Amino acid sequence: MFFPRTYHLRAVEGKLLFWAFAYLLVGAGALYFLKPAPSTAVVLVGALTTMAAFWGLHYFWSWTSFGGDPFLLPLVALFSSTSLVFLYRLNPAYAFRQFVWLMIGLFTLWMITRFLIRYRVLADYKYVYALTGVIGLLLPIFFGVEQGGAKSWLDLGLFQVQPSEFVKILLVLFLAAFLAENRLALAEGTRTVMGVALPAPQEWGPLLAMWGISLLLLVFQKDLGAALIYFTTFLAMVYTSTARMAYVCLGGALFLAGAAGSYVLFEHVRLRVEVWLNPWQYVETAGYQVVQSLFALAAGGLTGSGLGAGLPQFVPAVHTDFIFAAITEELGLAGGLGLLIIYMLFVYRGFVIALAARDDFACLLATGFTALMGLQAFIIIAGVTKLLPLTGVTLPFVSYGGSSLVANFIILGLLLNISHETQLLKPLEND
Amino acid sequence: MKTNIRRLSYVILGSFVLLSLYIGYINVFLGPALATDPHNRRLAVYEAKVHRGTIYDRRGTVLAKSQEGRRSYPLGKNAAQVVGFISQRYGRTGLESAYDRYLLAMTDEDKIEVIIDRLLGRPRVGNDVVVTLDARLQLLAMRLLGNRRGAVVALDPRNGEILALASSPSYDPNAIGQPAGRSRDGKVLAVYDLLQKDKRAPLLNRATQGAYPPGSTFKLITAAGALTTNPKVNERIFNCQGSLIIDGFRLTDTAAHGEVDFRRALAVSCNTTFARLGLEMGAERFYQTARAFGLTLNPWAGGLPEVAYRPGTLTPPEKMNKPQLASSAIGQGEVLVNPLQMALVAAAIANDGVIMHPHLLARVQDPYGGVLLQSVPRPWLTAISPEVAGVIKEAMVDVVREGTGRGAALPGITVAGKTGSAQNPRGDTHAWFVGFAPAERPRVVVAVIVENGGAGGVVAAPIAREIIRAVLTAGP
Repeated sequence: MFFPRTYHLRAVEGKLLFWAFAYLLVGAGALYFLKPAPSTAVVLVGALTTMAAFWGLHYFWSWTSFGGDPFLLPLVALFSSTSLVFLYRLNPAYAFRQFVWLMIGLFTLWMITRFLIRYRVLADYKYVYALTGVIGLLLPIFFGVEQGGAKSWLDLGLFQVQPSEFVKILLVLFLAAFLAENRLALAEGTRTVMGVALPAPQEWGPLLAMWGISLLLLVFQKDLGAALIYFTTFLAMVYTSTARMAYVCLGGALFLAGAAGSYVLFEHVRLRVEVWLNPWQYVETAGYQVVQSLFALAAGGLTGSGLGAGLPQFVPAVHTDFIFAAITEELGLAGGLGLLIIYMLFVYRGFVIALAARDDFACLLATGFTALMGLQAFIIIAGVTKLLPLTGVTLPFVSYGGSSLVANFIILGLLLNISHETQLLKPLEND
Repeated sequence: MKTNIRRLSYVILGSFVLLSLYIGYINVFLGPALATDPHNRRLAVYEAKVHRGTIYDRRGTVLAKSQEGRRSYPLGKNAAQVVGFISQRYGRTGLESAYDRYLLAMTDEDKIEVIIDRLLGRPRVGNDVVVTLDARLQLLAMRLLGNRRGAVVALDPRNGEILALASSPSYDPNAIGQPAGRSRDGKVLAVYDLLQKDKRAPLLNRATQGAYPPGSTFKLITAAGALTTNPKVNERIFNCQGSLIIDGFRLTDTAAHGEVDFRRALAVSCNTTFARLGLEMGAERFYQTARAFGLTLNPWAGGLPEVAYRPGTLTPPEKMNKPQLASSAIGQGEVLVNPLQMALVAAAIANDGVIMHPHLLARVQDPYGGVLLQSVPRPWLTAISPEVAGVIKEAMVDVVREGTGRGAALPGITVAGKTGSAQNPRGDTHAWFVGFAPAERPRVVVAVIVENGGAGGVVAAPIAREIIRAVLTAGP
């Protein structure tokens, strides 16, 4: 009992967390010395509290012999440190609120790894997710407030919630449960129409309905970023469970048709595309943001202007969707690529968990969450660098935003629970 | 299902790799242009914080400096297009724009210095840029052009250093933002607004952005192509009857030159001989020769654009019929060049066939005189073989000694050159001269054009002569 089989995992985690803390302390120290203001001690207190919270979680897991993946928490600690340091540098008020949300997120993570460790029960409620998800997306259309052109927030008085951030978890849960049950039918078909094996409508009907409804709702909210993430995650999970490229191609074709349709129908979609193709033509208006983002990306050079020495405030919404521009300006190409590598490591660990998972549900769940996280990071970074048209989504764990942060911690918790289960079922060969 | 997961992970991680490469491309390759883009508000902030560096010519003469918060240009209109100007309102041009990053100390190398300055509370000072221009030569070139429209280029063929880029008419960059009158609807117009509307195009750097028919100076390229195809051309005798009929098109000459050899043909600028040589060579080879001299290329492509440059144009070989080929071979037809390009043609002949990369930057130095960046001469193109260069060089010496270019002759110095009188749709011919000296060991190449000036040998050659004299008597 003194050396439980998960001991080495937590030891690795502890060492890695140490380096994440060193990183946070360097950042906080730089802000403390470079921005002398009346309340700068807050920086150090915040950094130390954050460290203590991560450390507490790590300690709790060591104590309970939790077998979750040892790399994810340190990676998230790096994201959170970057987030706090840059938000403090951009606007201390945001940093404080983000800090509070981070504590709530870590608490949620603790709850999930403490009380939801038998996550398999989640497989039983798929139609509850479908219904909750639709309601969650419907609410903002009637009671929502508009921010940055998208009507996807609910005002709860004390703070605002963006339901689509949580619905994406429900979407993955629903798809994992549904596909785990029906994947063979979808992959091989239960009937033959003109020589082609096809599944019956009761096998693909609910899938298409749930997905179609969520996309429609997002279009009404003008939340194009979330729609794109839902769509790509959906395709990724369908491909994973069926291996039929035909579905992916069909989905891609539907997407192109939908994109072309909305380009013709909606003024704001048309503008997005035109700004993407030639932002310089709209440099004073709609293209201003992305052009300023490119300037910020270029201003840092290879090593960055240094924390606090850049001018990222020229980029509108730099604390949310565009935080990557600020990071690259001040930490340079090296810092920007470093952040990308951390996302790649996160995605890599996610897929390792998925590959080790014991059954279809766990496998699909881990794949879905990992794909979701990776695609979201890719889509927003590609958007702010003009590789893809801009769609407003948050950079996971880094952008300012409570809903997004808490939702991502829920995903992290479920990923960890899946890997914990695998760890327990593993034969004792390595010990 | 595990295989599918593996494939999906390759796709997602692969797209991250792609994204990394793309961001690296933006940062490294587009970075310099983005950093100095007029829409970038960072520039104004840096501008306010930094004491902008000075631009010097090769002898230490100030070309642009910051004084009491404003930028001044001591050479005024004599170097306006090449030195350029900076203005919040009208943007930035010329060397001021090209070397913004150095003048404002914005490069990666400057970062440590910037941090030290900040810690010590020192004001930030930009770096100084030293260019290869020679202010005295530039002033002389502008004086020689006088009120005429035209351009003068001087460069060192051995290393590609540009010594003078004169363009006339010009303007005073010190006065760019001053009020100059009112428009019809009562708005105040600045000097710049008037310059932009001026039909004589004073803002245009004719030396590098001009698009002129090259006239007979283009025979140098035809000669190079003919000699490369067949070295025996040098021993042939041509018979000039004063005109030539090609597919019903009549190409006339200035005179019936009678029996001439190759050198004589170049010396007297015989149109029929060179038209014939062009036809013998064929369109494809003719085009390739022009390209070997860099005609349709931009020497600054892919690097830092030091000056706005308009590459020459020539009809592609597949679209060129025989009459067009014959007229292009003598620099008429659909050929357009800029004066720097013609200087580079002469530089190839002067430098045994190799064109050194033309450049304006000599070095960048920090405010204490330490050299941060030193430009290194490097070859740009190999246009012709040394043998071909040698034959053309001898013929060019004849041009100045006893041919159309006598106006460029200097006592005690062997000058090589070629004249041109280019017909054009607007009035008198453009007067051209390109050449170099001393012919044995060339130190300076000159290209001169005077728009609608008349005969090249009469109008342009004497300008080139004075430039050559000034360079060779002033020492290295």
